Amino acid sequence: MDLDFTPAEQAFRAEVRDWLADHVPSRLPSMDTREGFEAHREWEALLAGARLSVVSWPEEHGGRAASPIEWLIFEEEYWASGAPARVSQNGIFLLAPTLFAFGTPAQQARFLGRMARAEDVWAQAWSEPEAGSDLAALTSRASRVDGGWLLHGRKTWSSRAAFASHGFGLFRTSDTRHHGLTYFLFPLEDVTVRPIAQLDGTHGFAELLFDGVFVPDDLVLGEPGQGWKIAMATTSSERGLTLRSPGRFLATAERLVALARDADPALRDRAARCLIDAEAYRLHTFGAVRGELGATTSMGKVFWSELDLRMHALAMDLLGPAAAETPWFDGYLFSLAGPIYAGTNEIQRNIIAERVLGLPR
Amino acid sequence: MNFAFTAEQLGFAAAVRDVLRDRCDPSDRLSCWKELAELGLFGALVPEESGGLGLSLTDLVPAIEETGRAAMPGPVVETLVAGPYAGVVGAPRVSLLVDGLALDADLADLIVDVAGPSIVSVRLEPRRAVDQGRQPFAATVVDELRVLEAPAADLVRKATVGVSAQLIGVARELLARSVAYAKARTQFGRPIGAFQAVKHQLADVAIAVEFAAPLVYRAALSADNAALSADRAAYSADGKDTGAPVGLSRPDRDVSAAKVAAGEAAALAARTALQVHGAIGYTAELDLRFWLARTWSLSAAYGTTAEHRTRFRQAVFGS
Repeated sequence: MDLDFTPAEQAFRAEVRDWLADHVPSRLPSMDTREGFEAHREWEALLAGARLSVVSWPEEHGGRAASPIEWLIFEEEYWASGAPARVSQNGIFLLAPTLFAFGTPAQQARFLGRMARAEDVWAQAWSEPEAGSDLAALTSRASRVDGGWLLHGRKTWSSRAAFASHGFGLFRTSDTRHHGLTYFLFPLEDVTVRPIAQLDGTHGFAELLFDGVFVPDDLVLGEPGQGWKIAMATTSSERGLTLRSPGRFLATAERLVALARDADPALRDRAARCLIDAEAYRLHTFGAVRGELGATTSMGKVFWSELDLRMHALAMDLLGPAAAETPWFDGYLFSLAGPIYAGTNEIQRNIIAERVLGLPR
Repeated sequence: MNFAFTAEQLGFAAAVRDVLRDRCDPSDRLSCWKELAELGLFGALVPEESGGLGLSLTDLVPAIEETGRAAMPGPVVETLVAGPYAGVVGAPRVSLLVDGLALDADLADLIVDVAGPSIVSVRLEPRRAVDQGRQPFAATVVDELRVLEAPAADLVRKATVGVSAQLIGVARELLARSVAYAKARTQFGRPIGAFQAVKHQLADVAIAVEFAAPLVYRAALSADNAALSADRAAYSADGKDTGAPVGLSRPDRDVSAAKVAAGEAAALAARTALQVHGAIGYTAELDLRFWLARTWSLSAAYGTTAEHRTRFRQAVFGS
């Protein structure tokens, strides 16, 4: 057991750090405004130009074939540099692993490179008004027609959908609960998109209305009826490493420590305790990347989402009324969503209790 | 970078676990001592040329966790960490004298005064024990018998990591016992473990233990590295800690982080175990009490959770 990085890993860290120091933009407008969305796309195109937008991907699709450790190093440097959250994150972290695992070579060639350069921005279309964390209860349907499918129904809480170009989601193609779902990719141009204002007033997510939207056969991901299995592979990455890398929480904890420098000891204690947890999450991830993640990703999801909330709540206490003027407030609002999205923390605790601890259903 | 235990490290822990599972009686203060001495546990940190196994503290962490999981009584950690300096190999037991208290001193073949460090003879007065497996004594030094070539900081740091590893083991066992009870005990016609309120409490314990353990592993690495090179200013090669450390040295900061996280995880495991077991858990009729008591005694050992929280804060902020 050691925590030493190889010379190659250290050189990679230095390259990433230097590039970011020269290129990270000053604060961008919210990605959930039209202006901010375009600014974020430009930033990610710049990142892609340096082959730093998808470092863990194969070189043919714009990546560097970075190892998991290198990916974690990249993330540490990315967040420490003050670079913004990724407008492409749903595509890169949720859809791409699925495309690599289940997509045809033609689908991969068509979508991955454009995604890496933020030419296409993807929105996830899973949740429905009556099916949030319970995906098997989905009722949106796809009916068979010549050469493809017609999509009907309503999806909601689709992040980035207000401005995104494409969507991916599950639709029911037969009535068997788990085996009747099919995974579709679709352009958003024929879908009615109704933006939903979030707590902060921006349109971070949207409702998608499908009224017989045609999707050709070559946009089905995997086999019809296999959507559940494929989606489970994707939720595992959403709850696991890819959505919330340790670098982000470590960078937040270090900024929190700086923010708390002159605060009273009780508040500094809370900041220090957050730093311990951020370090724990980082170390745990270093241990986890070598093994199977499985249900332990549920433990990580609860841990990081509650840590994120604790850190931002402390920042609110430290800043008082001035908080609203700072990026900490946006971070606080976003952290409030952490225990809800990617499967609520209640669902995660059930998974831990049943699949890790073996308690009865 | 490889943040995982080797097959050898896990294998040694499995051997220790097998002995403890078959033979350990948490109410017998010398339970398993001889059998584990034969495995080489108590000379594990002693160099091979002096008859020990020549292992590092990091090598030993999984095995130390097992002694916590079994609620093994006696001065296990103290003997392990003082062994290399006192020349202890085999079955002898060592107690450490820290702040006027020496644990299990009546069972010890020698007592090391950490303030020296030196081997001392002492006068003992028993104190009330919260844990029948860790008996504290007020000790007055009568005579200094032999000065040791040992940095006191190294002894205390490694002992702190050792009890942190034991706390992880204690927490794992408390969780396992609570889960087993929640599956077996029925109320309202269902096992209580089917109720979400119970499930969520146990899931929280699992999470706390899962994320405390890596901090203990890092603290062991830091304690080993600090001993190898006590004057090294920046601790790790992770590219972030290139500046001089603020306040405490980085190893001490890592050790305090481990003690805080392990102490809090074990406290949550103990509190939850008691709640899940209900009234029967509050009695002396269940063995659960051994692990509850061990949580209290280890949490207080070598600096309480609160003291280490303060030390970590001071290391981070400089005050």
